[in-house]
Amino acid sequence: MPENIFENITNRTMKTENQVWSDLRSHAATQLRPGFADRVVRAAQAGAKAVPSLTSIFALSAATVAVCFLVVALSGDSARDAAENDFNLAGWQKIADAADEFAVNL
Amino acid sequence: MESTSPTPPVDLVRRAQRGEPDAQRELIVAYQHRIAGFVYAIIGRSDAIEDIAQLVFIKMVRALAGLQAPAQFESWLFRLARNTCIDHLRRQKLRRIFTPFAPEHENVPEPEGAVGSEELDALRHALAQLRPQDRALLALVQEGRSHAEIAVTLRTSVAAVKARLHRAREHLREHYQPNHEN
Repeated sequence: MPENIFENITNRTMKTENQVWSDLRSHAATQLRPGFADRVVRAAQAGAKAVPSLTSIFALSAATVAVCFLVVALSGDSARDAAENDFNLAGWQKIADAADEFAVNL
Repeated sequence: MESTSPTPPVDLVRRAQRGEPDAQRELIVAYQHRIAGFVYAIIGRSDAIEDIAQLVFIKMVRALAGLQAPAQFESWLFRLARNTCIDHLRRQKLRRIFTPFAPEHENVPEPEGAVGSEELDALRHALAQLRPQDRALLALVQEGRSHAEIAVTLRTSVAAVKARLHRAREHLREHYQPNHEN
């Protein structure tokens, strides 16, 4: 039993420490609405269904990373292809210009 | 002191661990009032008791499967409740740094008549002057926990519990003023 630290603070009759703590617990208990336990169990079950498993979180992360790599690779390829096409077209344009010039001179 | 409820049978804890809703409900009913009192001692606000107590028990239901020693259920539950309350107070503090309240909204007193008696109001006021960790310590003592049990709950030594308890009691005594004359 803990000592009563509230004794002799005032001269008037006071509740003991344990009585006041008991009041505190009683007051707190009245703050829980009826059906508290049922609500908690329902909330815990609903939450458990809503929370994804660790495996599914990992699978989703892996899929996201794979998609990102794919997008980067494809966009890199298409950018490289476009640059190569421009270079080739410029080359062909030079050849065509030279052929036209040659034909005119003939 | 109000006698504390006996420790729940290990069988009940095991059933709750297996996910049986009836066993989980039974555990909650057995502890809801004690946890509400414990939460109130640490948080100090009536309007937060139900929300925090609900959070504690939802965590309990979700984490119960991971409890290795069902015989230690009670210490485990009170540690969970203590940590939940302290997390709540830390989050509240952080939130107020980023979105500070207007002065008139800080520390809004509880409504008239919300608190039962002058002594209870004085106890709440005195507890509010203590660190949350010390409030939790005093509340655990009032739960009838021995120093050894508190040491297990707080994962510390019995000597540390005794020293901290002594300091917490001194502080509580300093701040307890039931007739507002001191």
